[in-house]
Amino acid sequence: MRFSRSWLAEYVTLPESFEALANGLTGAGLAVEGSDHVGDDVLFEVDVTSNRADCMSHLGIAREVGALFGQTVEQPDLPTPGVIRIDANSWGSIEIEDPVGCPRYVGVVVRGIRVGTSPDWLKARLEAVGVRSINNVVDVTNFVLWEYGQPLHGFDADKLRGQKIVVRSARNGEALITLDGETRLLVPEILVIADGQEAVALAGIMGGRDSEVSEGTVNVLIESAHFQPTRVRNGAKALAMHTDASHRFERGSDPEACLEAALRAAGLIVDLCGGKLDPQVIDVRPDVTEPVEGEFSLEGLNAFAGVETDESFVVEHLGRLGFTLQRLFGDETAWNVQVPSWRRFDFEADPKGRVYPAYFYEEVLRMRGLDAIPSTLPAIEGPDPGLSLSHLRREELRNLLAACGLAETITYSFGSAGADSRFNGLAVGPPLELANALSEQYAFMQRSLLPNLVEGALYNLRRGAQSVQLFEFGHVFPASGSEVDSLGVILGGRLGSPWQRGLELDFFDLKGVLEMMARESGAELRFEPAALAGLIPGTAAEIHLARRGAADPVPIGYLGRVDEPESAVPLYAGEIRIEELGRGAPDEVTAPPRHPGVAVDLTLTHSLDTAWATLAVAIRELRPESLTDFEMTDRYCGEGVPAGAVNTTISFRYGAHDRSLTQDEVNEQHGRLAEALERRFKLGG
Amino acid sequence: MPDPPDLAQQREEFEREASAASDRAAWEALRLKWLGRKRGIVRGLLSQLGGLPPDERKDFGQAVNRLKNSVEARLEELDASLSARERTASTQSAALDVTLPGRPPRVGTAHPVSLVVREIVEIFAGLGFSVAEGPEVEDDFHNFEALNFPPDHPAREEQDTFFLRDGRLLRTHTSPVQIRTMVDRDPPIRVICPGRVYRKDNDLRHSPMFHQIEGLAVGKGITFGDLKGTLEAFVHRLFSEETGVRLRPSYFPFTEPSAEVDITCPFCSGSGCRVCSDTGWMEILGSGMVNPRVLERCGIDPSVYTGFAFGLGIDRVAMIRFGIPNIRLLFDSDERVLRQVRG
Repeated sequence: MRFSRSWLAEYVTLPESFEALANGLTGAGLAVEGSDHVGDDVLFEVDVTSNRADCMSHLGIAREVGALFGQTVEQPDLPTPGVIRIDANSWGSIEIEDPVGCPRYVGVVVRGIRVGTSPDWLKARLEAVGVRSINNVVDVTNFVLWEYGQPLHGFDADKLRGQKIVVRSARNGEALITLDGETRLLVPEILVIADGQEAVALAGIMGGRDSEVSEGTVNVLIESAHFQPTRVRNGAKALAMHTDASHRFERGSDPEACLEAALRAAGLIVDLCGGKLDPQVIDVRPDVTEPVEGEFSLEGLNAFAGVETDESFVVEHLGRLGFTLQRLFGDETAWNVQVPSWRRFDFEADPKGRVYPAYFYEEVLRMRGLDAIPSTLPAIEGPDPGLSLSHLRREELRNLLAACGLAETITYSFGSAGADSRFNGLAVGPPLELANALSEQYAFMQRSLLPNLVEGALYNLRRGAQSVQLFEFGHVFPASGSEVDSLGVILGGRLGSPWQRGLELDFFDLKGVLEMMARESGAELRFEPAALAGLIPGTAAEIHLARRGAADPVPIGYLGRVDEPESAVPLYAGEIRIEELGRGAPDEVTAPPRHPGVAVDLTLTHSLDTAWATLAVAIRELRPESLTDFEMTDRYCGEGVPAGAVNTTISFRYGAHDRSLTQDEVNEQHGRLAEALERRFKLGG
Repeated sequence: MPDPPDLAQQREEFEREASAASDRAAWEALRLKWLGRKRGIVRGLLSQLGGLPPDERKDFGQAVNRLKNSVEARLEELDASLSARERTASTQSAALDVTLPGRPPRVGTAHPVSLVVREIVEIFAGLGFSVAEGPEVEDDFHNFEALNFPPDHPAREEQDTFFLRDGRLLRTHTSPVQIRTMVDRDPPIRVICPGRVYRKDNDLRHSPMFHQIEGLAVGKGITFGDLKGTLEAFVHRLFSEETGVRLRPSYFPFTEPSAEVDITCPFCSGSGCRVCSDTGWMEILGSGMVNPRVLERCGIDPSVYTGFAFGLGIDRVAMIRFGIPNIRLLFDSDERVLRQVRG
C-alpha cells in the first residue's frame, strides 16, 4: 500500500532522514518495501499485513510513527455538529435492518453545494496514492479514506427515494448498476444500502450509478458506516469484486471512527464545494460496542521475551498506540488493558473473552525492536523420540539408489486423466480430482509415480540422452485412507561408451536394484509374472514379499517394460510401497569357511519355457549334502543351441566346514546332481 | 703348466660363439652344445679321459674342469644380460597412454531438495528435534481452522488453495503437521516437518508444488529469545557463521507475535545486488511464538506452555545453495541438471 511522506508530515514530526523512518516502520512490522522520490515528496510502499487495517491510512501510519519516535499526532480540525440524532433528521431517516452486518451508520447532509473540479493540492494528494480525481465531492470522500482509513460514500441526497436509507440484505433477483457501469445481480448474502424503493449501493463495496454525486448534485448525504468484515467479504466474493473500501472493511474498520470521518469530509466539502452542513447528524447504532480488554504483567512479558523491559517503556508506548492501561490493584507492574477501537479485530480473546497476553507482548516487543531480544537456545527436556521411521527408511534407500547410479528426481503429484489411468498404480479407488486445477494436465492426484517418471525419461531422451536412470519418492493418493509412501524407478538405454564397457540397461538391471534395496531393508522379494496396464505383455511382474508366501494376494509393487512407443530405447519401470520394506536389522557376519570349497560349472540346455525359478527349486530339492550354494552365471541362445532352447550355466560350490573335500567326493555328488537335472529338463523330454 | 693346446682352441671357439649369442634361442643352443648332458662338448671331453694314459689324466681332467667352469660362468653372465633385455622389452610393450580418460564408477545423486532437507534435519537433530510427517491431502480443520484462520479470513485467500472435488484440499503449508503433532503428543515437543506443499500459482518464480520445512517447539518457559537463538544457530550452520539474521515483526494467524526472518543476501553478502533488489537482505523464513489459540485448540494449556514455530521454503534454499536459476529446473527430471549436484 502506497503512502506519501509529505502527507504523513501533516500529522506528525518525522525523522530527518527517510531511511530512519523506513527502518523504524519496518522494525515495527510495517515493512517499507520501496520508495520513489517525486519532487519534494517521497512515495513509499508499505506491506500492511491483513491484521492491520488501522494502518491502511496516513493517520494510522502517523500513530505508529508517533509511538516509535515519541511524537504527538496532530488530528485534523473537525466542524462541530449541532445535534446527534439516532434515526432521522430534517432530510430523512436511516434504518438498520441488519445490525450484525452493520453495527453503525452515520449520515451527514451538506446542502447547497456546487460540484466541480478539485483544487490542485487535493488532486496531488490523491495522485500520490494512485487515485484518479473525479470531482470535488468524490475526491473528498477518497481523501478521507486515505486519511482516516474509513471508507465513505457520497449520495446525491435528492435521488434517494422516500428520503430514506435502509441497510438490509439484498433481495433475491434484485439488481444494481454500480458506479463502474456494471449491472450486478444480487443475492441475499450481499448487504446493501437501499432507499425507499430498492438497492442504491453495495454496503462496504461500491456505490450505485443512479444515486452518485454528479454535476447537478446540490445536496449530498455522506455515508460513514461500520460493516461486519465477513459480511463485506462474502458480498465481495459473491460478486468477485475488490475495492479500496472492501479491502479495509474486510480487514476490520474502526467502529469509533465513523462520526469523525464523516465530519472531516463534511468540513472539507463545505470548504471546497460551498454549501452548509446540516446541524442534525444521524448516528444509528443499535447496540453498544463492548471494549476489548485483557490483562498483562511485566513479569509475564519478561518471561515470554527472555529480556527485561522497563515499566515506563510499556506505559509510554502502549499509551501512544492508543491502549488504555489501568494498574491492577496491589500490583505496580500488572495492568488491565483496553484495546483501542481500531485494533479490536486484531486482538483475539480466550474462551473467557479476555485478550491473550501474547498480543500485548507483541505490541511492546515490536516497539522495542526484535534486535533487543538476546538469542538463547531452548533447554532440551524430555525424551528424544529419534527421527521418524519413514524418514530414515527413505534416507537409507535414497543413499542406496544413488550408490547404484540412479539420479533422484521430483515431479508434480498431479497429472492428467490420461496419465492417471495409464498404470495400475499403488493407490486403490478412483482418483482424487482437483476442483480448481491449473489445467487438465494437472487435474488428478497421482495414483502411481510412473506416468510422471516416464515423462521425465522422455524429457531426457528427447534431449539426446543415451540412457536414463531415475528414481522418485512420493505419495500416491487413494480415494480415501492413508496416502501411500511410494518409490518409483525407471531406467533404460545404453549406459556408457564401448570404452567404458557400456551395457544395455534391461529388466534385470531394474529387478536387481529392487532386490538389493529389499535385501538392505531386511526383506526378500518374489516376482510373479502378471499382465499389467501400461507394461508390455510378457515383461511385467507383480512384486510380493517372499515371507508372505505364495498365497499372498496383495502385491507391494510391480515392474516391467513400459509400453511407450515414443521412446527410442526400451524403458523399464517399477514402483514399490516402501513402508512394506521395513528397516533391516544389522546383519550378523558369518565367518568364511576355513577349508576352501570346490566350484563346478554345469551348462544345461533346456526349453525356454522352463523358468529359472523352476530350475532353482529343482536344485534345492536335489541339494547334494556338500552343496553350499549355487548361482546362475550365464544364459545363451544362438548358434549351437536348438531353437526354443537356451543354455543356462550354473556355478555350484561344494564344501564342508570341518575339512577339505576330495575331488572324488565332489565328482560323485555333482555327477549325480548333474545327471538328475539333465534327465529332468532335457529337451523333448 | 700350460693347457693342452686343443683346449685353448675350444676356449676360443666357445668365446666366439658366446659373443654371437644375441637371443634366448642362441643362448639355449650354446648351452646345449657345450654343456648338454649327452652330446655336450664338455661331456665329450670328459669321456675322452678314460682313453688317456694315467699320467696325463689328471692334467687333462683339471683342464676340462676349468673349461667347464668358465663356460658356466660365461653362460650365467649371458643369461643375466639376456633376462635384463627381456624385462626391458616386456615392460616396453606394457606402456599405456596415461592421458586416456579413466572409467569412473557410475554414481547417482540425491535431488537438491532432498540434500537440503537432509542438511536441515541434521542441524535440527543436533538441537534435539525429531522428524514428523503428515498427509498432503488435508482437511480445512488441519490446514486452516486449527491454525487460527477463521472462515472467510483474508489470510486464507493469500494462500491460493487447491481444493479437491470431495471437499478436502491440498495442504498449502506444512503447518498441519504441527497440529497433528500437538494433538497426538504431550509437550515437550520438538519436531521438524519437511514435505511437499501446493499453491495455485504457476509462473517463472512459482511452482504449483514446492517444498517447505516446518519446525515446532513447545514446552515450559520457551521464550522469544529461544526462537531467535534457534533460528540464528540454524542459519549460521546452513549458510555461514558470517550470515546476518534479522527478525521483522509480521503477521501469521497461527503465531503471536510473528516475525519474518531475513538473512544477509548470500549472493552479495549484504552489500546489495540484483537478487536482493539492492536491499542486502533476503527473506527466507516465517516464524513466531505459537498463538495461544492454536495451543488451546490442540489441547495444550497456553497459560502453562509456550512454544515457537517457523517455516521455510526448501526449493528456494536449494536454488541459492546450488545456483539454480529457475525453479522449474528442480522438477523437470533433467539428468544433466540432477547429476551435477553433490551432497
